[in-house]
Amino acid sequence: MSGKLAAVLGTGQTKHVSARKDVSIAGLVREAADRALADAQLEWKDIDAVVVGKAPDMFEGVMMPELYLAEALGALGKPMFRVHTAGSVGGSTAVVASHLVQGGIHERVLTVAFEKQSESNAMWALSIRIPFSQPLVAGAGGYFAPIVRGYIRKSGAPLDTGYKVVLKDRLNALKNPFAHVHDHEITYEKIAESPLLWDPIRYAETCPSSDGAAAMVIGSEAAAAKQDRPVAWIHGTSVKSEPTMGAGRDRVNPHAGRMCAQEVYKEAGITDPFRQIDCAEIYVPFSWFEPMWMENLGFAEEGTGWKMVQDGTTSLTGEMPINMSGGVLSTNPIGASGMIRFLEAANQVRGMAGEHQVPDAKVAMGHAYGGGSQFFAMWVVGSEKPTS
Amino acid sequence: MSDVLSAPHVMEFPYTRSTGPVVGAFLTGLRDQKVLAYHSSDGTVVCPPPEYDAHTVAPVEAAKLIEVASEGVVTSWSWNPAPRDGNPFDRPFAWALVKLDGADTSMLHALDAERGAIETGMRVRIRWAAERVGFINDIACFEPAGG
Repeated sequence: MSGKLAAVLGTGQTKHVSARKDVSIAGLVREAADRALADAQLEWKDIDAVVVGKAPDMFEGVMMPELYLAEALGALGKPMFRVHTAGSVGGSTAVVASHLVQGGIHERVLTVAFEKQSESNAMWALSIRIPFSQPLVAGAGGYFAPIVRGYIRKSGAPLDTGYKVVLKDRLNALKNPFAHVHDHEITYEKIAESPLLWDPIRYAETCPSSDGAAAMVIGSEAAAAKQDRPVAWIHGTSVKSEPTMGAGRDRVNPHAGRMCAQEVYKEAGITDPFRQIDCAEIYVPFSWFEPMWMENLGFAEEGTGWKMVQDGTTSLTGEMPINMSGGVLSTNPIGASGMIRFLEAANQVRGMAGEHQVPDAKVAMGHAYGGGSQFFAMWVVGSEKPTS
Repeated sequence: MSDVLSAPHVMEFPYTRSTGPVVGAFLTGLRDQKVLAYHSSDGTVVCPPPEYDAHTVAPVEAAKLIEVASEGVVTSWSWNPAPRDGNPFDRPFAWALVKLDGADTSMLHALDAERGAIETGMRVRIRWAAERVGFINDIACFEPAGG
């Protein structure tokens, strides 16, 4: 780890749904922040700074919403920062917050991420044909489908690998009261028969459009020592970027993602991620990204990630549980989705993940990606203080 | 520079807003020709009401909002000689900060008056829109209160 010790003292999230018509954006973020403070058994006066993240402003049409959220997040008279890294923002926001503590600047930092997708339509906001730019062609799915096809061609993965990812995640979501999609009737057949949206991605293999927020309080070693409840120690963080377009760019297995994983493992003292990490929450908005990221993160050899899906390695009771909470496939308030991964990883090592807890999870990973698979944010958290 | 790339771009998709309990109550009040404000923990009356108290960080309770007058005083103003599309008038008018009687803060809205007649400290009142729907434009504008 780098800098001073830091730990997650408390976490909070909203019950994610398709439309929270009862609250404003301020009310939504406040709900998650109140829960994180309550979990950490702290009050607003205990917070030194606030770090906010969300996806591009166009998604709700509120320009720089952090300015008006200062009151709702108790930030008047305190430092407040906004982080912008597209879909990975929830992760990189948590990393920025942790660095403010690791750098010794603040004792306790509140970090919050959100999206209120019901206030507009992110898919069409991502589909605009800006002159002189490559169109994404009908949202994120249109952009990512050819990358998935590239993965299938290169790896020779069976075509139902994606169905099995969704089935696992949606069944996991039934154990998570905060997850958006709670489909008690889901079956392999229903997924396989759902409409094909962007070959090979079927409707059931896509993330929902959610309203939701997530929050964490990150504190120093001294702040952690005052807590009655378990904390999650931050063992390593990393953020990496690469351009959207570029000749020779491997969009199936992006270089920046591999670099990010190498760096976070090095910082956390991890040499064999599959053995040393007990479980991970990774950003999978379309089913096929689970096997792709298994390889990018070094949990599987290149071209073999799909085998861990097919043989149940990534199931809740498998050797390497992935997305125990139901993941982005069950809940996608875009800006918050990365932070939910980081938060769920923290709750796992705190032993506070509830019904989707992995028994004796000691080390967990949170992962987020954004843009055209070009922004990556990761952290490794542990139940014990880092020794490296 | 004659070789600059140029292309038209029209972008359109709908936005909606969930206003929440406080902003929602304020807007609903306007529909009923009532202006609601918040009696802040530091004693000041804030209009329009915030969703959270700036000093205690506590959520503002809609049920505790108080009504202030629909008349007040101009605390500052700026003349708009060339209105644009979407402005409340297609003729010159003023943007004004108005402190309604009973409130300690000012709110921004249009003021329909002759330029020479406008001054800081002048008394103005709300001109209500004929059809009110629970939106800020239910206040059509402010106008001189006379006397």
